[in-house]
Amino acid sequence: MPIARLKMYRSIANRSLQNVLAYRNSYVINFLAGTINLLAIYFLWKGIYSGRTEVGGYTWDQMKTYLLITYLANSVLSWYSETAISGKILDGSVAVDLLKPIDFQSARFAETLGSSLFEGAQSLILITVFALCITGIAFPGSAHVYVLFIISLLGAVLVKFGIVYLAALVCFWSTGSMGIVWTRIALTNLLSGALVPLVFFPDWLERLALMLPFQSIIHTPTMIFLEQAGTWESLRLIGLQWFWGILLWLAGKAMWSWAVRQVTIHGG
Amino acid sequence: MSLGRMFYLYRRLYVQQLKAILEYNKDFYILMCSAALTQVLGFIFLWVIYDRIPDINGWQFWEVTFMYAMIFLTEGVASLFFEGTWRMSRLVNFGEMDRYLLRPVPVVLQVFCTGIGINGLGNLLIGGVIVWQSLARGHVDWTAGKAAVVVLLLVTAVIIRVAINLAGNSAAFWIRNAGNAFPLMVHNLADLAKYPITLFPQAIRILISTVLPYAFISFFPATYIFGKSEWSGWWMLAPVAAAGMALASYGIFRFGLSRYESTGN
Repeated sequence: MPIARLKMYRSIANRSLQNVLAYRNSYVINFLAGTINLLAIYFLWKGIYSGRTEVGGYTWDQMKTYLLITYLANSVLSWYSETAISGKILDGSVAVDLLKPIDFQSARFAETLGSSLFEGAQSLILITVFALCITGIAFPGSAHVYVLFIISLLGAVLVKFGIVYLAALVCFWSTGSMGIVWTRIALTNLLSGALVPLVFFPDWLERLALMLPFQSIIHTPTMIFLEQAGTWESLRLIGLQWFWGILLWLAGKAMWSWAVRQVTIHGG
Repeated sequence: MSLGRMFYLYRRLYVQQLKAILEYNKDFYILMCSAALTQVLGFIFLWVIYDRIPDINGWQFWEVTFMYAMIFLTEGVASLFFEGTWRMSRLVNFGEMDRYLLRPVPVVLQVFCTGIGINGLGNLLIGGVIVWQSLARGHVDWTAGKAAVVVLLLVTAVIIRVAINLAGNSAAFWIRNAGNAFPLMVHNLADLAKYPITLFPQAIRILISTVLPYAFISFFPATYIFGKSEWSGWWMLAPVAAAGMALASYGIFRFGLSRYESTGN
């Protein structure tokens, strides 16, 4: 039975990948929009660093690396899952999903993984092009850092899915998703370190951010890639990612079973 | 059609949309707050950076926040009063433009009133506050003439923004699919004008001061207001850019409309 289940989720993931490929035009444009943003931020930071060797403990080379890693971690699991889950709830097709003998949350996670493959590959290409054009990217020296980094990226996807899923379920109580999506993006960008490294924050905000799950998405992978965390510290951070990932997963489950009852009250 | 009549029609059409929007008021608040939040975030970013360094390429904190907020302020006005441009791909793809063509009212006016982006209110409010704070704290030598020019630059900024939106969304006449993200890309290029254009390579500078004159919304007004001598006089091109962009986008829209052939059924 478990193997049959796994197969089922694999085919869901596969279907979602094909879906992304079928609508690749909008992905390419989304991708270009991301590139514009990356360019703007890159030149802004370049201006910030002109005439300075380090800002907030980061050298310019480290900051360049930070920007690229942030871009990678942010683009894996981006637009697709965000709109796919809330879309199902808003247009009512979630009713059909309720009839299927599949766990809604796991199915959505499988879908997310499928599209993440495409989105991740896409941003890897962009980052490689970028890294070839600019010099001074700080690549880590030893192989085990890469292994830890990839594990932390997976952890980041898990945590981000948890947050996105919870945000999407809020759509049971609203009629549109844009506001919720924007709020989610704004909060995540600020508290994960996507905007600026967390050490740039004033003390209280940095401490607050470190206590919340958001930091697992950007802060953890960048710390590991820039070798600002030693091996043990990295393992601790990854453990923390899994802690948050599982906690958010359970929270999503609880919220789902509560939300579904709301749907029945409305009469479908 | 006289300008007064156009304005009257615009108001009537707009109020109808407003009634529809107010039906769903939970969304109304969420959208407004989320737009404001997004913008405050960028402000925090600049604040955190300037906490550590005194200037970026000679630009002070309140000078950069002015540019940043101008982009949001004009976006707020555009989505609050001219959101309809963003519904154009829908109008074209579903053949709803037919209805507009039959009425004795300028089509572009009807397009403008096809929707209201209530998130614009959040952008407008927060953007307004930041622009006002930047002007109040940014060491500006005020004279009556300067104040008049600032008002003029605000108006041209809004015209430029709306014109670019209209031009970008007119792509719907050529790219006939529902997920057309071309206008979004044009819109996102405004991100580049949130910061001093001197940060960017020549090619980008030229792009955002000519073809898509976003720099005349933020950067060039800032050079005038904060008295950057090396750019003195450049602001005078802002009305030219506004007029040029308005004419060009209306031309593109008309040309696209002439290619419009409704849908099959």
